[in-house]
Amino acid sequence: MGKLDDESAAMIARVLRALTLALTFIALVPSLSDAHVGSPDVVFDGKAGTYDVRVIVRVPSVVPGLADVTVRVLRGDERRVLIRPVFWRAGVAGAPSADVATPVHGASKLYSGQLWLMARGAYSVYVTVEGAEGSGTVAVPVVSVATGRLGMSTGLGLLLAALGGLLLAGLITLVYAGAGESVVEPGTTIDPPTRRRARLMTIVAAPLLAMALLGGAKWWQSVDATYQTRMYHPLATRASIAREAGRPVLRFAVVDRNGRDLQLDPLVPDHGKLMHLFLIDSATLNGFAHLHPVYTGAFYSPLPPLAPGTYRLFGDITFETGLTNTLAGNLQLTREDSLLAASSTPGDPDDAWINASGAKRIDRIATVDTLADGSTMEWRSDSAKIRAGDETTLRFRVRDPSGTVARLEPYLGMNAHAVIVRDDGSVFVHLHPAGTVSLTAQRVFALRDRGDTTTRGRLKLGADTMQNAMPMAGEFSFPYIFPRSGSYRIWVQVRRDGRVVTGVFDVVV
Amino acid sequence: MTIALDSIREAASIRESAIVATDAWHARAVVFAAACVMIGVYWDISWHMTIGRDTFWTPAHLLIQAGGLIAGLSSGYVALRNTFVGTGAQREASVGFWGFRAPLGAWVCVWGCGAMVLSAPFDNWWHNAYGLDVQIISPPHMILALGIVAITVGALLLTLARQNQTTGTEQKQFATLFTIAAAFWIMNVWVMLSEYSYKEFMHSGLFYRVAATYYPLVLLTTARANTLRWPATKASAVYMGLTLALMWTLQAFPAEPKLGPIYQRITHMVTMDFPVLMVVPAFGLDVVRQRLHGRVRDLWLAPLLALTFVALFLAVEWPFASFLITTHSRNWFFNGANYVYFMTNQFAARTFSFADWEPWSRPLAPQLAFAALLATISSYVGLKWGSWMTKVRR
Repeated sequence: MGKLDDESAAMIARVLRALTLALTFIALVPSLSDAHVGSPDVVFDGKAGTYDVRVIVRVPSVVPGLADVTVRVLRGDERRVLIRPVFWRAGVAGAPSADVATPVHGASKLYSGQLWLMARGAYSVYVTVEGAEGSGTVAVPVVSVATGRLGMSTGLGLLLAALGGLLLAGLITLVYAGAGESVVEPGTTIDPPTRRRARLMTIVAAPLLAMALLGGAKWWQSVDATYQTRMYHPLATRASIAREAGRPVLRFAVVDRNGRDLQLDPLVPDHGKLMHLFLIDSATLNGFAHLHPVYTGAFYSPLPPLAPGTYRLFGDITFETGLTNTLAGNLQLTREDSLLAASSTPGDPDDAWINASGAKRIDRIATVDTLADGSTMEWRSDSAKIRAGDETTLRFRVRDPSGTVARLEPYLGMNAHAVIVRDDGSVFVHLHPAGTVSLTAQRVFALRDRGDTTTRGRLKLGADTMQNAMPMAGEFSFPYIFPRSGSYRIWVQVRRDGRVVTGVFDVVV
Repeated sequence: MTIALDSIREAASIRESAIVATDAWHARAVVFAAACVMIGVYWDISWHMTIGRDTFWTPAHLLIQAGGLIAGLSSGYVALRNTFVGTGAQREASVGFWGFRAPLGAWVCVWGCGAMVLSAPFDNWWHNAYGLDVQIISPPHMILALGIVAITVGALLLTLARQNQTTGTEQKQFATLFTIAAAFWIMNVWVMLSEYSYKEFMHSGLFYRVAATYYPLVLLTTARANTLRWPATKASAVYMGLTLALMWTLQAFPAEPKLGPIYQRITHMVTMDFPVLMVVPAFGLDVVRQRLHGRVRDLWLAPLLALTFVALFLAVEWPFASFLITTHSRNWFFNGANYVYFMTNQFAARTFSFADWEPWSRPLAPQLAFAALLATISSYVGLKWGSWMTKVRR
C-alpha cells in the first residue's frame, strides 16, 4: 500500500476526524474531568439491596481502557457478584450484559473483575449481589477520562527498534534479491548487468523505504499529538475578590484561553448546593473554609474571615450527565480583604471555616482533636500504617464535652464530611462516609434509569434538593485510598447543636 | 552443434531439477496460510463490530496467527533445508539472503511473518498507551497489514514459480492457486480501504480517488503474471465470492456486544459492507489488456487501463450506491444496515444519505480526472511489477 498524496491524506484525516467525532461521545469541555485532584481511585461503601458492600474502581488512564473493579461483601450471604459498565448517555438499556466477578483466591468475600470504559464521560459501575437475601444492585459513579499516555519502556523500545531495523534491512535485501538473483535462470550465475540493475534498484528503493518509514513516524507523532490534545486538562479558572456594599465577595469563574468567563453546562445540586468550594491556606494548611457559592455565570460567595495569605481553591460541581468535576484555582488574600471579611456573615447557612492553629506534622494515625464547641474528635486507626495505593478506612468518633459519644445533626444530609489534601496541593478529595463517589451522580443515574428525562434529555429535577438521609451517629468512617505517599492533612466536619465544627488531623502516608 | 545440443540438454536437466526444487506443498501451504489470515482478518473485524471485547486467543486471532505461522515456519523450513541439506538443484533455484538460500517467495513470507510478529507487541503497547482503538487504520495495524500483504505476495510468487515450471493439469492448478492468492491481495486492499469506502462516500471523490490509487495496481500486477485467461476478472470474482460468503455466513450466528455504550440492538454478527463490484472493472481491464497485448507500450497502455478502470468502477458503484442507501438494501443479502453497536442513531441515520461534508469531494468531474491520474500511475506500477513477476525464476 503506497502513500496517498498529501491532499488525499489531509482529506482522509478530515474524514476520520469527522467520523471520530461522530463515533465518540464527548460532552462539552467540562465533561473531561473528575471530582478530585490527583486521587483517581473510586471507593464506595454502601448497600446493594440488603448487602453491605465496598466497591473500589481503579480507573484506567487511557480511554478506551480497562477499569479494575473489586467488590468486598461486608455483610450478607452472597452467592455471586456481577459488575456492569453503564455510560450516562446510553443508560442501562445500552450497557453490555453484566460480567460475573471472580472470587479472589485466598480472600473471603472479595471479588474482582475488569470492565472496559469505552467512552469519555460519566459512567457508573453497576454492582449486583445475588445470594440468600435475593438480589440487590448499586450504581457506583466513575468518571472516564484520558489522563495519561503510557511511555515506552527502554526494553520494549529497543526490541521494537531492533525488529524494525531487521525488517527494514530485510526489505532492502528482498529488493536486491528480487531485482537480481530471482530473475536469473536456475543453474546460471548472475551476470554483471543484472547485478548492476539490482544494485541500482536497491539504491533507489532504500531512500524510498526510509521516506515511508519517516512518513510512518510522522503519522505516529500526529496520532500522539491528537491524543495529547484530547487528554484531560484541568479547566482554567480565575478567582478574585470583588466588593459589594463594601464587603469583600469571592468570585470564582471558569475561563477560556483568552481569559473570558466560560458558561458551564447545566449543573445539578449536590446536597442541595451547586458547588462545594474549599479554600485552603497553601503555605500553612491552617486556614480552611467550606463554602457554597451561588452561580450566576460565575460562582459568588461572601469572603469568610480567613487570615491573609495564598489560598488554594477546590470547587466540586456535578453536571446533569452525572459527571463530577473539581475546579481548582488560587487566590491571594490581602490583609485589607482579611480585615474587611472579619465581620462578614456566611452566604449560606452551611458555610463553615476554621483557622486551625499550626499543628505539627505527626506520623501517627490515632489522635484526638478538640473541637470549637468543646467536644472532641478521635481518629481511630484500623491499621498500623497507611500505605499508598491500599484501601483504608478512616474511622472517627465524636464525644461531647462530658465524654459520651455525641449525637450528630445532619450536615449537608450526612453525619460527616472529610477533605483530604496533600501538603503540596497535588491531591485533593472531598469524602463522605459513602466514599469518594458523588451521591448526586448516583441519583442522576437512577433518575435516568427510570426515564426521568424530558424529550430534550434534561433531567426532571423538580424541587428535589437531593438530600441524602443517613443515620447521624457520632461514630463514622470514610473509605479511601491514598494515591501516593506524602504528608496529608484531613479536615473532618460535623454539625452539633446547629454549629458546624471541624477536626483537623495530619498523617504521613 | 554437439556443444549446442549438450548445452540445451544441460539447461533442460536444470529446469527439470528446478521443478523439483520449488516445492508444490510449500506453495499450497502458503496459499492456505493466506486464506487463514484473510478469513481471520474478516472475522476479527466482524468480531470488533459486534462483540467488541476480545483477547489474544479469540478464534479470529488464532486463525490470523496460524496463517502467519504456517507461512513463516514453512518458508523458514525451506530456507534451512535448502541452505544446509538441500540438493544442488534446490540451492540453484533459490536466492541468497544473509547467507541462507530459499526461493524469493519464501523470503517474502518470512518477512511477512516477521512484520506480523513485530506488530503484536507494538499493537499491544499502542492499546495501553492510547486506549483500545476501534479503527482499522493505525500504525501497528499498518505493519500487520504489510505483513499480510507480504504473505499474499509470497503466495503469488511461489504459485507463480510453480505455474511457470509445470504443464498441463498441474500448471492449471497452480495458475488457479495464483488467482486465489491474488483474490486475497484484493481483499486485503479492500479491507484497508474500507474506512473510505462506506456507501455514504460512494458519490464523492474520495472513494474514487482511493480506489483508483490501489486497485489497478493489484489487479494488473496479478493479471500480467497469470497464464489463465481473464485473470483479473477471475481473481475479482473469487474476492467477491469469498467476502460475500463470509458476509452471509457470519450474519447467521447469534452474538451480542460485550462492550458499551451500546446504541444499536444487535442479535447476530455484524459484518463488513457488501464488497465493491470489482469484477466489472476487472473484466474491462482484462479485455483492454488482452486486446492490446504486445501492441502498445506500457506507458500508453497504463492511461487506457486507468480510464477503463475509473469509467467502469464509476458506472457500477454509483448506481449500486444509490441502491445501497435505500431501505431496499437493509436485508441480509445486501447488508445495508450493518450498524456497529457503538453507532448512535443520529449517525446511523446519516449513513442513508450521501456524505456532502467532505469538501474536497465535489465537484465530481475534477475529482474523477484526478482519480484517473492516480489510476494511471497505479496501472503503470502494476504492469511493471507484473512484468517483473513473469521473469521471476527462483
